[in-house]
Amino acid sequence: MEKHPSYEVLSSYLPIYPKAAGALFQTYNDLKYAQQWSDLELVELPGCARCGLKGRRPQTDEVLSIVPCSLSESLSTDWIRTTFRELGAPPHVYLAINTEDSSIVYYKISPGIVKPPL
Amino acid sequence: MSLTGTSRGGKGGQKFGARRAENNRIYAHPLPIVCPSPSSSAFAPLLCLLFPASARLDNPHCEGVFDPSTRSVWVLTERDATILWRRGFFGKGDLSRSEPSWLARQLNARKAAGKYMTSEEVREKRRQERRQFKLDRAAAIARAAAEAEAAFAEGREAAPAVIPSGATWKPSAPGEPSLPVAPPEDEDDSDNDADKEEEPLDNVEHLQLTLQEAWFLVWNLDCLTVLDPHTNEPMSLQRIWRAFQGVHCIPPDLPVYADRFDNLFLVHYAAYHYYRALGWVVKGGIKFCVDYLLYKRGPVFHHAEFAVVVIPVYEDPADQESSPFNLPNANTFSWTWLSTVNRVNSQVQKTLILTYVTIPAQSRVSPDALSSPACLAHYSVRDVVLRRFIPARMRD
Repeated sequence: MEKHPSYEVLSSYLPIYPKAAGALFQTYNDLKYAQQWSDLELVELPGCARCGLKGRRPQTDEVLSIVPCSLSESLSTDWIRTTFRELGAPPHVYLAINTEDSSIVYYKISPGIVKPPL
Repeated sequence: MSLTGTSRGGKGGQKFGARRAENNRIYAHPLPIVCPSPSSSAFAPLLCLLFPASARLDNPHCEGVFDPSTRSVWVLTERDATILWRRGFFGKGDLSRSEPSWLARQLNARKAAGKYMTSEEVREKRRQERRQFKLDRAAAIARAAAEAEAAFAEGREAAPAVIPSGATWKPSAPGEPSLPVAPPEDEDDSDNDADKEEEPLDNVEHLQLTLQEAWFLVWNLDCLTVLDPHTNEPMSLQRIWRAFQGVHCIPPDLPVYADRFDNLFLVHYAAYHYYRALGWVVKGGIKFCVDYLLYKRGPVFHHAEFAVVVIPVYEDPADQESSPFNLPNANTFSWTWLSTVNRVNSQVQKTLILTYVTIPAQSRVSPDALSSPACLAHYSVRDVVLRRFIPARMRD
């Protein structure tokens, strides 16, 4: 992992939250290289013992928030509420669920009921 | 699901036939180990019968690096990644849907009108079409509702509504003609065109093997060497065996984690090995809320037919109470959970399989057995196939 170009950017954050290091690394790489997000920045979420990410999708202006987690973790609604609080109450948060084979599934979580778009 | 019509005759049929033949040629070997085709000499097959040791197997000797934080083994060289993917569909490109195609996609994007589309780009196109279809359908429904209101107000019959369905909708602006999907060889050739005007791209993608896939290759086929991430030295079989179990023990080396048969790596490996040994290609199933997907030949040939959920069962309930791990699905599940998973999978035409892996009792089997993979013989695997039965509809 150390030889990967992303390691430099993440190196200050990975040792702080070692249990979430793998999930953060995979999510960061997926957003930066595969999804081609811009202006990616890391946000520390001490209440959830991990770092979150904020960035913009290609060709959009809206800043979106991502919280990486791994499949083996158990989450609670309180945990989710903490992520909203520590990310500065965004309108919605994307939960990036990482797996060992590097698949990432993103779930969009909103506080409260949201009508589907169509 | 293709909204532009699934019936492809004539030219499309030829394209599909050629694609199939191409896939059969590229993905001909089900495992990385290959038996070389018999030589022209008439004696070679006879020799193989009489002296089995002289029957050489072509072993590609791939290399991977163990990464404990992502709980996986990374294959960094393109040669090894291609071999492991093409012979048995092991691993997944960490920036791609399936095989490592990130570099090809970037180079495609750089050539202004990409000549070929990778599978990710096909998926993007399909999603855009589906979005457009949903917009058209919503607009048609709104129009029909407004028309019905107006007709009722005027006291006349409303005109029959025409609402597009998935089978009848066609994209209104066809845009560019559909591009052929890239034949896999293009990945290797496109590197030459990389630095025309822009700086050369480093391939930051690797092939990621799960610990179960890596152990299968290391232990059963002996075609993978796993390197230690810090020293870059090959790890011995013993070290690999202990390290792969150790990733689930956080913090490591705590005595409570020692000598446990219910380590998640072991439980999942028992199921993985069971299905691989039966000839299925086993891939991760997170997209369908399950543990594994079973493919008959591989993802490039046909969609997975079966979705597997691994349910650990403790032979001795006392082991579960004393367990430092919290194995998923180890407790009695609810009908709502089962219905949800079954519904998700039946909507994508997959059959749900519940795979019960029985974990041996600490009291019956000595913990010394854990020092070698021979302990896997104590795990038993039973599978139950689930189908939803609707009495009103299923009369036969």
